[in-house]
Amino acid sequence: MWHTLTLYRRLMSVQMRSQMQYRTAFVLETLSTAVIVAVEFGSVALVLNRFGGIQGWTLAEVAFLYGMSETAFGFMDMIFAGFDPPVFGQHVRRGTFDQLLLRPINITTQVMGSEFTLRRLGKIALGLAIFAFAVQANQIIWTPLKLAYLPVVMFSLFLFFGGLFIIGATITFWTVDSIEVMNILTYGSSFTIDCPMTIYPDWIRRFFTFVVPVIFLSYYPSLYFLDRPELAEAPSFAPFLSPVVGVGLLLLALRFWHFGIRRYQSTGT
Amino acid sequence: MRLFWEFTVRSFQRHLTYRAAAVAGLVTNFFFGILRVSVLLAILGEQESIEGYGRAELFTYMALTQAIITYLSLFGWYDLMNAVHSGEIATDLLKPMGFVSFWLARDVGRAAVALLLRGVVIMALYSLFFDMVHPTSVAQVTAVAVSLILALLISFGFRFLLNLSAFWSPNARGIGRFGFTISWFFSGFLMPLAFFPAWVQQIAHLTPFPYALNVIVEIYTGQLTGPALWQTLCIQLLWVLLLFTLAHVTLRTAVKRLVILGG
Amino acid sequence: MSIITVRNLRKEFKVSKHHRGMMGTLRNLTTREFTLVKAVDNIDFTIARGELVGYLGPNGAGKSTTIKMLTGLLTPTGGEVMVNGRVPHQQRQLYVQRIGAVFGQRTTLWWDLPVIESLELLRHIYRIPPDRYRQNLHEFTSLLEMESFLNTPVRSLSLGQRMRADICAALLHDPDLLFLDEPTIGLDVVAKERIREFVRHINSARGVTILLTTHDMADVERLCSRVMIIDHGRLLYDGRLQTLQDRFGGKRELVVDFAEPYPEVTVPGATLTHYHDLRATYEFERQTISASELIGLLSTQYRIRDLSVREPDIEGTIRRIYQEGLLTGDA
Repeated sequence: MWHTLTLYRRLMSVQMRSQMQYRTAFVLETLSTAVIVAVEFGSVALVLNRFGGIQGWTLAEVAFLYGMSETAFGFMDMIFAGFDPPVFGQHVRRGTFDQLLLRPINITTQVMGSEFTLRRLGKIALGLAIFAFAVQANQIIWTPLKLAYLPVVMFSLFLFFGGLFIIGATITFWTVDSIEVMNILTYGSSFTIDCPMTIYPDWIRRFFTFVVPVIFLSYYPSLYFLDRPELAEAPSFAPFLSPVVGVGLLLLALRFWHFGIRRYQSTGT
Repeated sequence: MRLFWEFTVRSFQRHLTYRAAAVAGLVTNFFFGILRVSVLLAILGEQESIEGYGRAELFTYMALTQAIITYLSLFGWYDLMNAVHSGEIATDLLKPMGFVSFWLARDVGRAAVALLLRGVVIMALYSLFFDMVHPTSVAQVTAVAVSLILALLISFGFRFLLNLSAFWSPNARGIGRFGFTISWFFSGFLMPLAFFPAWVQQIAHLTPFPYALNVIVEIYTGQLTGPALWQTLCIQLLWVLLLFTLAHVTLRTAVKRLVILGG
Repeated sequence: MSIITVRNLRKEFKVSKHHRGMMGTLRNLTTREFTLVKAVDNIDFTIARGELVGYLGPNGAGKSTTIKMLTGLLTPTGGEVMVNGRVPHQQRQLYVQRIGAVFGQRTTLWWDLPVIESLELLRHIYRIPPDRYRQNLHEFTSLLEMESFLNTPVRSLSLGQRMRADICAALLHDPDLLFLDEPTIGLDVVAKERIREFVRHINSARGVTILLTTHDMADVERLCSRVMIIDHGRLLYDGRLQTLQDRFGGKRELVVDFAEPYPEVTVPGATLTHYHDLRATYEFERQTISASELIGLLSTQYRIRDLSVREPDIEGTIRRIYQEGLLTGDA
């Protein structure tokens, strides 16, 4: 276990060093990940500011959702980059995944260590800035429980997104052609939780409650942090399910992943 | 022309062969469309319409913007950049055909396939599910068609220029991403431009981007008519001319540079 | 003592049928048909510790499927594989610790890292004791003449340098068994020779068992005393290369320069194919007459100035075996 962890650290540092070799490219790409968030959030902010909010949510409240989602997704996209479905699909098709299987280390660790996209720091930084603005502007009534629970929610959301990436990567053992659908789960959930869930049609809300239960990692906890009136109508446990759902999905994804590898070993490509 | 036909048939076959990919693309496109329109509808709330956009116009806006993502390569186009970086460019420059027209021909072929096989299908699909606004006269349909063509030329000019940055920088990918992101904002892809505060709209209209996307929606939904429509088409044309001149000039400088540096 | 034991090994794949043309494309949309492809069809062999065996066959014959099963990347459909005392696909992590593999077409090294750092990383991955690592590194880098590019990033290496670095990387952890797939592909003559020299060395001096797949017959000729030939998933031949040459090698040639002009000289067991300007060329088959018998017959009756024997080349023999299916049916 210790050996695996040290190795992961080494593999990660290799990835970081190779990205730092091209200094200008790195700076530009980091900036561009930040600009994407800035422009997307900027357009929402300009419009909400002009029309006074969205279904009773102020811009500051939406920023709370937005910042949380972008930060968690940014961290995940940096650390779980090896599982990014299109990238991983390429590894499988080019046979580089086979080379990982020929090394005497846990395969999950190796895939995690095969990519570490440092340029996401741009996205993360901006996500954190939006979140900081939200925390500031919302005048949240902090309690010890809220303070302790906030990092738990963030981390659970991070694990949840990671689980989605792993599921997407696993599906590439079967097909690479239709991998675009995975965007619905990954980028789709991230996009959906940028806004209050009440704005979506029922079937979408149900989809993100029962199929891809991301609602428990952002919307419900946010109701609790922001003391929103909708909290009264939600089941009382709903805001507190995030660690269960986050860890649960990741574990499920890992089981699917191992199943996928077994199947890959019996069929090849 | 024959070549163009061959190309289209090939593309069509390829699309059918990758039916899984095509279906996946449609499903994904549809899903994101609904997510996007939900946000707009929520902003509209109980009001009848804002800035000329009612429910039907919002659905139309969403359907149109989703349908022309591939037509205009909104999410990025780096073919020319890759050709520069790989050195393939040298043989292209030797071809007896004009360099800009060579790439334009390729892009028109690509865009035509994207419009017919993706764009039309996506529009049809959304029309099945939502109440939308459609052009009501032959003149309006013609205006939409002309505007679509001009929009492609504007988009091509912009993408071509953006890709030329590869001649100056070995890591132009970041510059490219930058450019495309900015274009989403000013073209009205993220929000209808009319939803932005007036000062943002004014800035946007100083750039070519609204004329590659936002105006198509406005013409299609009938918000732009009469003299304003004519004026818009003229501005589109002006942007085409300006961007193509810029492309030629920049290309000449780039090639000179390449020759001096010895490729 | 055998290091690889393979019994009735089978691997089948389901492949979806694709129809061609416009109508065919439409048919693909409506139906999905599968055909069962037997990539490896009941093969048996054993390889003893310390052997260097060439594994040959045309593309798509089942070579790489076999290698994938031997390295644990693929689970067999049926039959048994036992390598180095383990079942490869069942105990992957433990098993791969003791083997090495080089796939000529792609590198296992980290693209942006200097060679030495990749090797260092492998030291950690395989948990090679520091002393052992130092010894091996020293030996391999000097044998493969790698000192000059140890600090160069892999992306800037020439193909030959990269191949040497990859071979070195595959051996640092003292594997018992080495899989070499096309180790000389795309290299110039000198580079090829250097790699062959090294392969022979680690086989003889270190006793590493080597399974070599290649399309380069010179590799086989220089390195392998034993070859296995696979085609259409079946093992067609397993034995000495020389035997194969004797059986299918086609005709040998004897070129004779006579000291004085003779009328057309014929010898029983050989056919005269050329005769011009005192120089005669004879074709003969190994089974009918040996070279020395033939030379004996000629030299007793005629005055000879010079002579030479030309062997048919292996390359041609193997090509004929594939193309004409010479081995099919007598495996």
